[in-house]
Amino acid sequence: MTAPSDLSIFLLTLRVAAIATLVILPFGLWVAWLLARREGGWRTLLETLLSLPLVLPPTAVGLLLLEALRRSGPLGRLLDALGVEVLFTWKAVALATAVMSFPLLVRPARTAFEEVDPRLLAMGRSLGSKPAAVFRRVALPLAWRGILAGTLLAFSRALGEFGATIMIAGNIPGRTQTMALAIFQRTHIGQDDAALRLVGVTVVLAFAIVWTSEILTRRRTRKTAA
Amino acid sequence: MIELDVRLPLARFPLRVEAKLPSDAVAVLGPSGSGKTSLLESIAGLRRGAAGRIAIRGERVLDSSAGLNLPPERRRIGYVPQDALLFPHLDVRGNVRFGMTRHGSDAAFVEAVAILEIEPLLDQFPATLSGGERQRVALARAIATTPRLLLLDEPLAAVDPGLRGRILPYLLRVREALGIPFLYVTHNAGEARAVADAALVLREGSVVFAGTPEAALAAMGREDPEARFDNILAGRLDEARAGGAGSFRVGDLELAVPGEDADHPAAAAVYCVAPEDVLVSTHPLEGVSARNVLSGRVTAVDPSGANAWTRIAAGGLEWTARVTRAAAEELGLVPGVDVWIAVKTHAFRRLR
Repeated sequence: MTAPSDLSIFLLTLRVAAIATLVILPFGLWVAWLLARREGGWRTLLETLLSLPLVLPPTAVGLLLLEALRRSGPLGRLLDALGVEVLFTWKAVALATAVMSFPLLVRPARTAFEEVDPRLLAMGRSLGSKPAAVFRRVALPLAWRGILAGTLLAFSRALGEFGATIMIAGNIPGRTQTMALAIFQRTHIGQDDAALRLVGVTVVLAFAIVWTSEILTRRRTRKTAA
Repeated sequence: MIELDVRLPLARFPLRVEAKLPSDAVAVLGPSGSGKTSLLESIAGLRRGAAGRIAIRGERVLDSSAGLNLPPERRRIGYVPQDALLFPHLDVRGNVRFGMTRHGSDAAFVEAVAILEIEPLLDQFPATLSGGERQRVALARAIATTPRLLLLDEPLAAVDPGLRGRILPYLLRVREALGIPFLYVTHNAGEARAVADAALVLREGSVVFAGTPEAALAAMGREDPEARFDNILAGRLDEARAGGAGSFRVGDLELAVPGEDADHPAAAAVYCVAPEDVLVSTHPLEGVSARNVLSGRVTAVDPSGANAWTRIAAGGLEWTARVTRAAAEELGLVPGVDVWIAVKTHAFRRLR
């Protein structure tokens, strides 16, 4: 088996990260909205649980996922019955990156929702819109910068996920090997130059994403100050 | 007919407003912090804790004893808050259309835009509008939904004697053209008298007066240190002018107003005269430059702080003059005293 090209590694990484981000987006927005708008003691618990992937060692999260997904595990049995193979496929990569990126999406989105004047939402209701329509017509358009910033952050985290991915997806060239995993493997077998090429790609990509995110955030601050 | 029985716990006192208003045009008066805004928000359905019964022309939107509490989106009540609360991400057109159903007719939109005279603003965003323009857009947005009740909270800026940004002339137009019942929160008893048939005066969440706007004036002066008593006059503005002045007729009375106003004559013109601009004399006035001199009689004197709001019946109208308490005492202004009032031509400021 020939080693996959840099381009195919790059495309696989991009595709998996994009899928993971798209999957967590609706759920993440919903959670961010709940955290921003609803009262209750459960909020602190939910927040803490959601923040765990940020502070736990990624390998620990990976191991927990592995336990849940193994054939005898609770989720694994269900997936097995459905005939879905997850472990050590690209789906496992997407799952690991989704779990690790989730808190990074929720935090900025939540802050953005909190900045929306609740009286504007009440006005939307008073003008005849149901809560879901007010969310779509008032909250989303007013919070979109923060949501986009969170999405970009989650996406860049997904691009670089390593620890949880290697636990449940392995490091299989052409199947589950993302850029982060390939850099590790190439360095391991002494191909430092080939690893550095990939590092260059990741630097350019990360730079572009953070740059975009910075510009969006700065615009928002200026608009608020005006 | 608007039936209100609203109870809502507030931080400093409970709101407890009970009133059966025989009229569809109601002014809500009272000092800042007396619960006026909370009352409007309760009626609009924006205060969760509100209980009681609210019915507009017999249709209930809240009836706690029957377990009825319509959510705001089903109340069909148009709310225009003090700060207008326009959607910053939508232009004026988008704001006015916000509450219209997708299949709603364009007629309501066109009518709202015409009555509020906001056609030139349609493509602008709220951030670029003046306070008065925002208020007009918010009122247009409310009436475009064809509500069964309008709630208007006068911007605090309208308390200053300037005319800019006043919503009153537009509210008069809405009243004439559409006849939607409304509650109008204001600090300006003169405006209340011009637009409403009934008035409520609130103090610490309770109704301390309910009756006609004329009868509310005394309670207003007592309760609200920020109250204003503009003289709002509605009449006919003729094309002709005499000696450089325009001719404004209110009933049989002819008043001299600025000549340039006559360039735009109107069968229904509205003027505002600030109470500061009404000069009171206990002797016949001669040799004064003011073009409008009327003889009359003091009907009431309502002291408020250092002022005495002096009501004078003259020329078939009721005028309010703002004099200092010291001046009122020196002149012996008490009900029944014969007086003369003088108002300069340029003290008449046209509202429409």
